[in-house]
Amino acid sequence: MTTVPMVTLTVDDKPVTVPKGTNVLDAALKLGIDISFFCYHPGLSIAACCRQCLVEIAGNPKLQPSCQVPAAEGMKVISSSARVSKAREQMLEFTLVNHPVDCPICDKAGECTLQKLYAEWDAQPSRVVLEKVHKPKRVDLGPTIVLDQERCILCTRCIRVCDEVAGVHQLEMAHRGDHEVLTTAPGQLLDNPYSLNTVDVCPVGALTSKDFRFSMRAWELYKTDSVCNGCATGCNIEIHHRDNRIYRLVPRPNEDVNRHWMCDEGRLTYKDVHQGRLAAPLVDGLPTSWDKALAAAAAKLQAALDADRGAVGVVLSAGHANEENYLAARLAREFLGVERIYWLGRPPVPERADKILRDADVNPNAAGVAAVAGKGAGDAAALERDLAAGKLKGLLVLGSDAPGAAASDKAAALDALVVIAAHERGLAPRAHAALPCGDWPELHATITNRQGRVQRLRAAFPPPGQALAGWEVLVRLGKKLGAALDYATPRAVFNEMVGAVPAFAGADWGGESLTVQLRFAASRG
Amino acid sequence: METRKIVLGQKNVADLDEELPTEPMKINMGPSHPAMHGTIRMVLTLDGERVRDADIEMGYMHRCFEKEAEHATFQQIFPYADRLNYVSPMLNNVGWAMAVEKLLGIAKAIPERAEYIRVIVGEMSRISDHLTCVGASAMELGAFTPFLYLIKAREWVWALLEEISGARLTHSYVRIGGVVADMPPGWADKSLDTLKKIEQALDDSEALLTRNRIFRDRMEGVGVSSAEAAIADGWSGPCLRSTGVAYDVRKDAPYSVYDRFEFDVPVGTRGDNYDRYLVRLYEIKQSIRILRQAFAQAPAGEILMPDYRVTLPPKKQVYNTIEGMIAHFKLIMDGIRVPAGEAYSYTEGGNGELGFYVVSDGTGRPFRAHCRAPCYPILQSIPRQINGALVSDIVPTFGMVNYIAGECER
Repeated sequence: MTTVPMVTLTVDDKPVTVPKGTNVLDAALKLGIDISFFCYHPGLSIAACCRQCLVEIAGNPKLQPSCQVPAAEGMKVISSSARVSKAREQMLEFTLVNHPVDCPICDKAGECTLQKLYAEWDAQPSRVVLEKVHKPKRVDLGPTIVLDQERCILCTRCIRVCDEVAGVHQLEMAHRGDHEVLTTAPGQLLDNPYSLNTVDVCPVGALTSKDFRFSMRAWELYKTDSVCNGCATGCNIEIHHRDNRIYRLVPRPNEDVNRHWMCDEGRLTYKDVHQGRLAAPLVDGLPTSWDKALAAAAAKLQAALDADRGAVGVVLSAGHANEENYLAARLAREFLGVERIYWLGRPPVPERADKILRDADVNPNAAGVAAVAGKGAGDAAALERDLAAGKLKGLLVLGSDAPGAAASDKAAALDALVVIAAHERGLAPRAHAALPCGDWPELHATITNRQGRVQRLRAAFPPPGQALAGWEVLVRLGKKLGAALDYATPRAVFNEMVGAVPAFAGADWGGESLTVQLRFAASRG
Repeated sequence: METRKIVLGQKNVADLDEELPTEPMKINMGPSHPAMHGTIRMVLTLDGERVRDADIEMGYMHRCFEKEAEHATFQQIFPYADRLNYVSPMLNNVGWAMAVEKLLGIAKAIPERAEYIRVIVGEMSRISDHLTCVGASAMELGAFTPFLYLIKAREWVWALLEEISGARLTHSYVRIGGVVADMPPGWADKSLDTLKKIEQALDDSEALLTRNRIFRDRMEGVGVSSAEAAIADGWSGPCLRSTGVAYDVRKDAPYSVYDRFEFDVPVGTRGDNYDRYLVRLYEIKQSIRILRQAFAQAPAGEILMPDYRVTLPPKKQVYNTIEGMIAHFKLIMDGIRVPAGEAYSYTEGGNGELGFYVVSDGTGRPFRAHCRAPCYPILQSIPRQINGALVSDIVPTFGMVNYIAGECER
């Protein structure tokens, strides 16, 4: 391991020690000193084009952009002098000269860096009496993004996101002076699978997501920390929701998993959460109460178990959390004496895999279900084989995924088919009893990503209708079947699982992270 | 148990004191009772007609002012403050604004005209407060005519306040950094005319009350408190001054421009309900005196400090410049950014020292806000004041506390 030499510098007379190569801006931020900036982004290269982070550095006659100056031993940085404040104020005034009066119709209002910095560092009336320079306001850059060139403050963050994260040069600056605009590179569309990250990094409302555009004011949304369930990568995200509905998913920085980014496909996975949900227990396809459904499910399963315990199988799901899979497996092995354990998931999509974030495995928890199911478990092929061979008489299925069409028909014709699912698809509509459970944004749970990292999901809102969290459905069903499953919280399941399954050893449930309205999440931007 | 002698005019006191085999009876007065202004409940322990104990239960009008304030921007709290003492909302407005201004460090930067307008609307509010208290108490003792005179006078004051603020009662007129609107044209002259009419109404009512035998019998020597006991209980305002303590925040810790006016602080000598009535009556006259000086002195100029960090930019700026637009947006959505810290600011409210304690964590909403409601400590003394008195004495004693549920229970 190489040790990085450290340097000590002072910012506003406060000493700070940072690794050599760190820029002055990061050193100041480490001290909690607020320096304004637009073009700097911790996940991107340095452009130093916004001139908003100018500071005084002793021995240097001119103000220096703190994002571009590497910290040096003994360096004296002044960020709070009248000269620096004046520079910030003047840069903001300059940036605002041609900025349109758009806040009331701008998606970024409320989490806009320009608004924030103006309020903090400028707050002076306009001195410009001339007409502003007008530019195109609805430039279609590609399938996901619309650009308002008037709002753009020319920071080039989006260009760098495409270049450095997605690895494609799709955006460029054109023209000069107050006619300079952001536009697509010659012959290009902004269509890379990471294009929506440009919206996140845009300090103003120039780049807007076609999906989120005009759908909700940012400050009305509530934020809950979670993890993307779109693939095995498990990008850390914030769920932005209101009234039990998700409006967008945005990445949450995690240097070890997704840095600051996530893919476009992952962002849109929230749509499925609200589609075709199972909101009431079904018995033979008709809605009923929990009591009746649980009684019917238990009776069917018990009859199948009594007839031939070896012909009953339990199917786990790579789309469900660790706790639910663990409980289903424990119910099968310890209480029902069932040895036929399978797991299902969505089939892999090899063409989506890249070396950035997207994984071919589109199941969020394949690693977790593999750890819980153990070596003897069968995959989808094994399940289809056993169904075709008539080795099964009863099945308890977790999840909305189904085996192939022929195997599904076979499953629907079994003596007992009980499904615990969030969505009314797959085997659920054809089951003797279908029990509704919460989908990923409705759960306090953990999933395991492709690195084997156990990550925490947090419930943004309750499951719809009569649906319950999956672990609770399993506990209730287990009790009907005479199993001594007794948990009060998902955390109790998790704690037991950590001790019982070696793959989870040392995993931690994680601290508090409350849902807050963005209005109260201090000033964003 | 010791029984205090109550002088009831020339009635047959001996009859009342005659020994009868009695036992204490518990009885509810309120929460809904004609003589309990606002919903409040007193659990009385009665020995015949005599009050032996009173357990005061408040909280029927608790509006979570302090908790709500934590979720509102500093500016959004004005409507909540209006509903504290809802008979003198302007004084609450001014009190809240001054607390936040103290924390912002802009107390000296408020435009002078705004300070004068604050004094003017504040003193009008005080007049309305005292008119209500005196009028309602007289009415409860059977004197309906002065009630009508005084409430009519209050109506004139409210019409003036409506003209300047747009609302009769819940004005939300003061802003952090000034006031929202200037005096309408001709308003000052109209106000001065109204003051004359109020003086006439006061004289008429005084003639009906001050030397009225029945009124004095019911008020004099009832609800007596010594200055020491009043101070120990935390009294302030007209009730404290009735006991002879000349404490008035406007004189003892002058704020705004009160040091520029000549006015007296009336005090009582006996600390009974009659003194409290007289103190309020003379305070109205002093307020009128202040108002005349304020109208004469008020300079021309700004009514809001022109600082985009504190006050909303003019609409022309908001609609036409991005700077004004952002400033407006940030002030509405995030609120005024008040530096982290805490401040206690106190003013003379209608009932006494109205204090606001504000803690800011540097965001646009208070981390904690507390209101020192002047009638809260006074209310706690009622059991002491009415111990041994007759049930009927509760009415004037309670009336003279001027319990305002919105303020007391916050």
